[in-house]
Amino acid sequence: MIEIAALSSFLLSAVGLAVPIALAALGEMVSERAGVINIGLEGSVIWGALGGALGALAAGPWAGLGTGALCGGATALLFALFAVRLDTDQIITGTAITLGSLGFTGVVFQGRFGATGLALELPTVPVWEIPLLAGLPVLGPALFEQAATAWVALLLAPALGWFLFRTRWGLALRAAGESTVAARAAGERVVRIRILAAVFGGCLAGLAGAHLSLVHTGTFAEGMSAGKGFIAIAVVVLGRWRPWGVLAAALFFGCAEALQFALQAVDADLPYPLFLALPYVLSLAALAGWFGRSRAPAALGGASGG
Amino acid sequence: MCLFLAALGCDADSDSAADSAAPAVALLTSGPVSDAGWHAGAYEGLQLIGDSLGFRTSHQQTRTPAEFDEAFLAYAQSGYGLIFGHGFEYQDAASRAAELHPEVTFVVSSGSRSGPNLVPIVFGLHEASYLAGMAAGAITRSGTVGMVGGVEIPSARGTFIAFAAGVRATRPDAAVLETFIGSWDDVSAAKEAAAAQLRQGADALIHNVDAASFGFFQAVREARARGGEAWAFGMNRDQNDVAPDVIVGSAVINIPGIFLETARDWRAGTLGGPMLTGLAGGSVDFVPNPARSGVIPAASLVRIDEARAAIVEGRLEVPRIDFLEPAAGDPPSS
Repeated sequence: MIEIAALSSFLLSAVGLAVPIALAALGEMVSERAGVINIGLEGSVIWGALGGALGALAAGPWAGLGTGALCGGATALLFALFAVRLDTDQIITGTAITLGSLGFTGVVFQGRFGATGLALELPTVPVWEIPLLAGLPVLGPALFEQAATAWVALLLAPALGWFLFRTRWGLALRAAGESTVAARAAGERVVRIRILAAVFGGCLAGLAGAHLSLVHTGTFAEGMSAGKGFIAIAVVVLGRWRPWGVLAAALFFGCAEALQFALQAVDADLPYPLFLALPYVLSLAALAGWFGRSRAPAALGGASGG
Repeated sequence: MCLFLAALGCDADSDSAADSAAPAVALLTSGPVSDAGWHAGAYEGLQLIGDSLGFRTSHQQTRTPAEFDEAFLAYAQSGYGLIFGHGFEYQDAASRAAELHPEVTFVVSSGSRSGPNLVPIVFGLHEASYLAGMAAGAITRSGTVGMVGGVEIPSARGTFIAFAAGVRATRPDAAVLETFIGSWDDVSAAKEAAAAQLRQGADALIHNVDAASFGFFQAVREARARGGEAWAFGMNRDQNDVAPDVIVGSAVINIPGIFLETARDWRAGTLGGPMLTGLAGGSVDFVPNPARSGVIPAASLVRIDEARAAIVEGRLEVPRIDFLEPAAGDPPSS
């Protein structure tokens, strides 16, 4: 009975840890499908966390989710204006956006709450407990005791699958990521598609950040994005640029992280950096093609030719 | 990069009130000073030096070892005579910079190496951590206590070893859980690590992280909201007011006071060799949270006071990790 309770709470925290990674990774997947690799995703996550915190303090947790997504989107717009509109190097621009965001959010936080900081107690987004289903053993709490952000991540996977592979706009978006020349020849406006895709990805990364501050922890700290934007980029690779694959890969990262804490707490005498590294090793394996062929969009990271 | 970060206000703020002829002191932290803990204490120390001694002050946040070197050299070349690197992670970069700039004094918090112009501060926080452990052993009902750490560096390990010893001094059969999250400011990781320990039955938890502590306290707060009887301990700085509803006490270093003393000694030319502080000098202590008085039984507080006296008088040796290296080469200048 104790083991079932332990397994159930392990799964609950695994899903909780996976949600922000899934949201950011699904957004990045759309961006990369359009040919834009946004290393500045981490910046969108931290702006989303801070924007969400400030929005929630002003107008409640739901408004906070909205302001978080907007802040993430605005960060990605800044990135896209440079990297797509002006065709600056995507990697360098993204790195600058990430570093700048980590610094600026600190300035805003310290300006608002004092240089030495304080542990904010933010209003949190309520958890929806689905009656009956949440009472299921083992999987019940993990699947049916989650906040709205988890449902957004879950519903986005089929929605994005339909959009990318079943609609004309999805085709245009993928064309922009495979060959700008062909897409332009077909009459698509590559620059606009890429900017919109990047901003969409930024909004989801911002929502991921708002999830961190308003759902998961109920507080904000400088640097609390803690590399989740970068993990999301790895998850896109591991998920092979497909919505369900990305969702599964994010869940896998969540499980690996939760497992690491569970094992350390029961005093399994294993070196903890090993667990921290495990998901990345698997991402490398995915890149090397151990889990079947994976191919990045052909024009990923390339010039937009605006 | 350095300029870029500085321009972004990674806090190269200087005190314009002080005149430019005044001695200049700089502080490097590897994390945000808004952590209400380890880094915040150092920032308060820097401000105290500026306010009390009239020094010019400057602070920079540096993340990577390459930035450590660059920032040390940049400050040394711009006339800063006293530079604090706040944490063990600065030791190597400070040693290199100290060789290049013999005219500048480099101070490393929780450092391990001494030199003519290289001064480690050894806080002796393990002694306060031991007293906190005694309190944890007294208040745990389940007999399981937990420790959530950032990165497994000697100074962090040392506080945990002492905490566990303190727990077992009052509760010999206690189980002590230990988790490192691999980061100092990953709030959600700290929260999940604490939650995992709470699920294992831990009901008295201490941390040694920086900004991530906000998530650690939140996990204990949520466990209490669900009807559990769990308590948290603060670390490094008096955190009793950071989460007054869940913190029963803090293992505190008076970082501002120690920084001020270091700067005074430096100005007087008497700074040399490692700065050794501890319970004996009153620089570290276990401070129960006045807002939660009564949680720690009065009899236990008496035992803690007795242990404090025994440590100060040298009758009780707290287990420690001695990370101070024997001084190499020249003896420290006076």
